[in-house]
Amino acid sequence: MTEVSIEKLTKDYGQGPAVNSISIRIAEGEFISLLGPSGCGKTTTLKMIAGFEDATAGAIRFDGRDVVHVPVEKRDIGMVFQNYALFPHMTVEKNLAFGLEMRKIPKDEIRTRIAKVLDMVQLTGYSERYPRQLSGGQQQRVALARALVIEPKILLLDEPLANLDAKLREEMRVFIRDLQRRVGITTVYVTHDQAEAMTMSDRVVVMFGGRIAQIGTPSEIYERPANLEVAEFVGQVNIIRGKVGNRIVSTAFGDVPVSGDFADGAELMLALRPEALELLPIHSGATGAPAKVLSSYYSGSLVDYRLELAGGAVVNVQTFPRTRFADGDQVLVHAPAERFWPLGTVA
Amino acid sequence: MSKPFFTVYCLIIYAFLLAPIAVVVIASFNAGAFLTFPPQGLSFRWYLVFFNNEVFMRAIRTSLWIAAMTTVISGIIGTMAAMFYVTHAGKLKETVRVAMLAPLLLPEVLTAISLLFFVYSVGLGTQNLVGMIVGHVLITLPFVFINVSASMESYDPAWSLAAQSLGAGRFTRFRRIMLPLIKPGVIGGCLFAFIISFDVFTISFMLKGVGMSTLPIQLFDYLRTNFTPEAAAVSTCSIVLTMAVVVISEKVLGLRIHRF
Repeated sequence: MTEVSIEKLTKDYGQGPAVNSISIRIAEGEFISLLGPSGCGKTTTLKMIAGFEDATAGAIRFDGRDVVHVPVEKRDIGMVFQNYALFPHMTVEKNLAFGLEMRKIPKDEIRTRIAKVLDMVQLTGYSERYPRQLSGGQQQRVALARALVIEPKILLLDEPLANLDAKLREEMRVFIRDLQRRVGITTVYVTHDQAEAMTMSDRVVVMFGGRIAQIGTPSEIYERPANLEVAEFVGQVNIIRGKVGNRIVSTAFGDVPVSGDFADGAELMLALRPEALELLPIHSGATGAPAKVLSSYYSGSLVDYRLELAGGAVVNVQTFPRTRFADGDQVLVHAPAERFWPLGTVA
Repeated sequence: MSKPFFTVYCLIIYAFLLAPIAVVVIASFNAGAFLTFPPQGLSFRWYLVFFNNEVFMRAIRTSLWIAAMTTVISGIIGTMAAMFYVTHAGKLKETVRVAMLAPLLLPEVLTAISLLFFVYSVGLGTQNLVGMIVGHVLITLPFVFINVSASMESYDPAWSLAAQSLGAGRFTRFRRIMLPLIKPGVIGGCLFAFIISFDVFTISFMLKGVGMSTLPIQLFDYLRTNFTPEAAAVSTCSIVLTMAVVVISEKVLGLRIHRF
């Protein structure tokens, strides 16, 4: 197992940095996702770790050894590409053997290792097939097996689920995560899909414009986002504004105590996730802000409401469909004070 | 177009294309003394004359040797050019393409004359085969280039990257991954190069040394003064030879295309 440490890594193609002095420490066996919109530098970062791109500045260390000047073929990485990049003229077995042959591993050991890895990705019996004879999900698993069979120092995945349909994608998420845990390999996963990053990763690195906006566990990223951009990129969010007075922000939902150093009178943005809100009938006598239901979307296990508060502000609420409200209904919205998260002052 | 009509239409086209070849082949078995059609009796007589004609045999050997050298050199340069064109040319792509295809656009006789000036001005002369082979490579290069770059277009660069990530160096990546996948284009291009080089007249005529001749030149020379079926026998042999090259390279090297 390998610890990867990225220090002040920068890539500049000549029009300003695509990756701007980022530092990440990846523990042995950790599953890290690089998450961000397209053009945020996540793929460039992955390519630099793999060695397909030179770093303009900074260091990439595998177990303390700087590999920036080590060529790809000597870097000992396992890489899964977005379109899998299986060799079309080779059978599954030959695809898997390729990396082992490059390492001059004896024939009988190659055979046992291929059998083992095929079992691991549940494709025993497929060794004589050509890639074009496999489904998308099977090709994906062959690509994973090909990257893992060489027992690399680090596994790199570049949006590997982007070409699969929705149901298969969810299955593969679980599959990849299980496999990674069993093998215990240090893994870097690039995606623009926040649900993928959240469900699979030990930690998520959120990137915008070549910089790291936040590094944290999925729940840290979701519940305590570092800024407005992160909050809005990861899941839905309501932004509630209010003035600070004596470490308290008064909102339509009542007073919210805020920790942190905010000057009195500053206007603060608070993040409030839709599922943190609770809807009650207007005459229930509970505390909450009165609101009118603008619209609702039912999706089986959940209902999404758009509500208009008395002051005209619109908030989104997500609840279980135990009690249903119709469009135009008056309701009470209750938001526990501890579910607000300060994102900083309004610029 | 209805189906039987279409079949007849195709047959007529084929007949039109193949009839001259059939005529030459049949005429070569003529037992008479003059090149006529239909033949007056059948015999192998003119083949024997041809095989015992040292001038023709030498011309065939020269032609084969030049075609083989041309195929190898043109194959290597054309493949390299196609690889550069598809993967690295960037903004220069169109320029590279036009430059590579230029020999096709110029009249062959102009290319031949300028090459003749060139080989003398650089001191090569025409007493060795170098100038001749340079000329043949020049006019066959576009065919290799077109064929290889066409099969490169369906080559996914990620295959090379994947091989690299698995530990393959530059040469291994080319030999084990890229070459097998662009092979149909390379072989197709090389076959073109061989056949065109074997067949070309103008360039060979300008760049040949004194007393040297290739098969087309020798044949032309012969037909100026003679009109025997020996010419048909020579032509038939050259047809069979080129077809043999196509069939053998298809069987040995394989033109099977990998579908992705």
